[in-house]
Amino acid sequence: MLILLCILVSHTGCYRMKKSKGGGQIGKIPPRVINAQDIALPPGYTAEYVASGLTFPSSMTFDDQGRMYVIEAGYSYGEVWLEPKLLRLENDGKFTTLATGGKNGPWTSLIFHEGYLYLSDGGAAEGGKIFRVTTDGEMKELVSGLPSIGDHHTDHLVIKDNYIYFGQGTATNSGVVGEDNMQFGWLRRQPEFHDIPCKDITLTGQNYVTDNILTEDPDDKATTGAFVPFGTSTTNGQVIKGRVPCTGSIMRIPLEGGQPEMVAWGLRNPYGLALAPNGDIYISENSYDDRGSRPIWGTGDVLWKLEPGLWYGYPDFSAGVELAGKKGFAVPGKDLVKPVMKDYPNKAPRPVAMFGVHSSTNGMDFSTNPAFGHTGEVFAAEFGDMAPGVGKVWAPVGFKVVRANVQTGVVEDFAVNKGKKNAPASMLGKGGLERPLAVKFHPSEAALYIVDFGILKMTKRGPEPQTGTGVIWKITKKR
Amino acid sequence: MAKTNELSKYIVAISLFIIAGSCATRKSEPITGAVVDRSDTRVANGQEKYNRYCQKCHPAGEAGLGPAVNGKPNFLKKFQAKHGLGVMPAFKDIISKQDIKDIGLYLKKLDKLKKRKDI
Repeated sequence: MLILLCILVSHTGCYRMKKSKGGGQIGKIPPRVINAQDIALPPGYTAEYVASGLTFPSSMTFDDQGRMYVIEAGYSYGEVWLEPKLLRLENDGKFTTLATGGKNGPWTSLIFHEGYLYLSDGGAAEGGKIFRVTTDGEMKELVSGLPSIGDHHTDHLVIKDNYIYFGQGTATNSGVVGEDNMQFGWLRRQPEFHDIPCKDITLTGQNYVTDNILTEDPDDKATTGAFVPFGTSTTNGQVIKGRVPCTGSIMRIPLEGGQPEMVAWGLRNPYGLALAPNGDIYISENSYDDRGSRPIWGTGDVLWKLEPGLWYGYPDFSAGVELAGKKGFAVPGKDLVKPVMKDYPNKAPRPVAMFGVHSSTNGMDFSTNPAFGHTGEVFAAEFGDMAPGVGKVWAPVGFKVVRANVQTGVVEDFAVNKGKKNAPASMLGKGGLERPLAVKFHPSEAALYIVDFGILKMTKRGPEPQTGTGVIWKITKKR
Repeated sequence: MAKTNELSKYIVAISLFIIAGSCATRKSEPITGAVVDRSDTRVANGQEKYNRYCQKCHPAGEAGLGPAVNGKPNFLKKFQAKHGLGVMPAFKDIISKQDIKDIGLYLKKLDKLKKRKDI
């Protein structure tokens, strides 16, 4: 028994005493080295780099002539506000800037459909917008005023049956505005902002007491409930009126633009959307963090199938499992999670697949080309953890591209960095993947493109994204 | 005295075994060039249950929120899955005995994958 105990202790160590070892927790920021040979792929595939020197690239697509378009986000966590850009890669290998945005990034998604580009403007300052853009860069606003001025933004787009479907992230980590939102930067700009349910919900009246960070008095306290502004308490049985546009949802607008309508709700940050070959839409959801007034631990990112009308569980469930009262979701050493909703619109559904806790599984695309292989599987870019800001991790999580079988729920690595451990290139001192944010299959070639955001260092002060370190990678199947 | 020496050797041997296992924790397809054969229905079931319950903290069996499980003794993995330890909750009331056995079988197969020579 003693031996067994020794083994167990040596095997697990002490989590609480252990320092976080996230992939962004690097010392001196190294220059971005680019070497496709540092990327490990399954046999038969080869990697090359297509473009580098990009600043916060977030999405890419191809037009009907096979020309590549890339967007630079403009805004990045860390409160960096640059000009978002729509770029086209020309035959000479150089980018032409077709359009630019204002101080309202991050531009998060770019798709091509029947002669037009469509892009989502994350809306960190003025609210989210969706634009239709000609291939010459002329922009037409299709919708604006989306509730994107919190932690999460207007996310990826897909087009189906003449509607633009899009993900809309939540304002907060788990329903309650707190000190973490001040660190994100938005709470001082928008002190009245909070999560908005799509339909009426009834609260339990669970409140959280924090320092009142909106006043100068260090002794001032604030009591805050769920789905209300910072410093507003709630009561048992209180009804919060639902409205659209709402946070934590999938919504859609007509292809020509118009008012958004709700498709599904109760999602935390439904970042990635992908259209399967059979017409189903799949969602990658970034799950909860260990931060703020209502921290939640141990919840993995989730792959969902979109079911119209369904509530997916935010903020009281993760991947179909209730958070309340379970040790596995309580931050070690802290209280069990308490529910904020009194009843639920439907039974929380079961996910299609699970990804790593804090992996930040984002942009996705389905393989449809038999020459590339894995047809019918969805490929997903894992941006990688933002520890310790999101919570502690034992080792870097993400920083790779995975593929998921939507029938079995099995997730397999597809593109990772070589080395003794999984980590971003900047941590390994190598030239491979840094932070994959989106993936896109070429419409006709057997090739997968990876949008690599670049280096983002995590410090006690918050994220420090590095301009000019973004890369576009191309993975092809050898013939 | 002789008994103490014997015990020490045993502990050292097991510790070395664990350390050796810890050095080879990367078992995903890009690193090994292969995936686990799913033709055995129990292995396939173990892989699916692993992905459902374990993947989020030990992605691809590597360290993530928690430590790596690849390369660790199977009895240890089964014990911890059933009873939990430290911050890891017990799964004996969530995952059936048969599924825990199948997860163990899948992880055994995963551990047998060798690193590619060209990596």
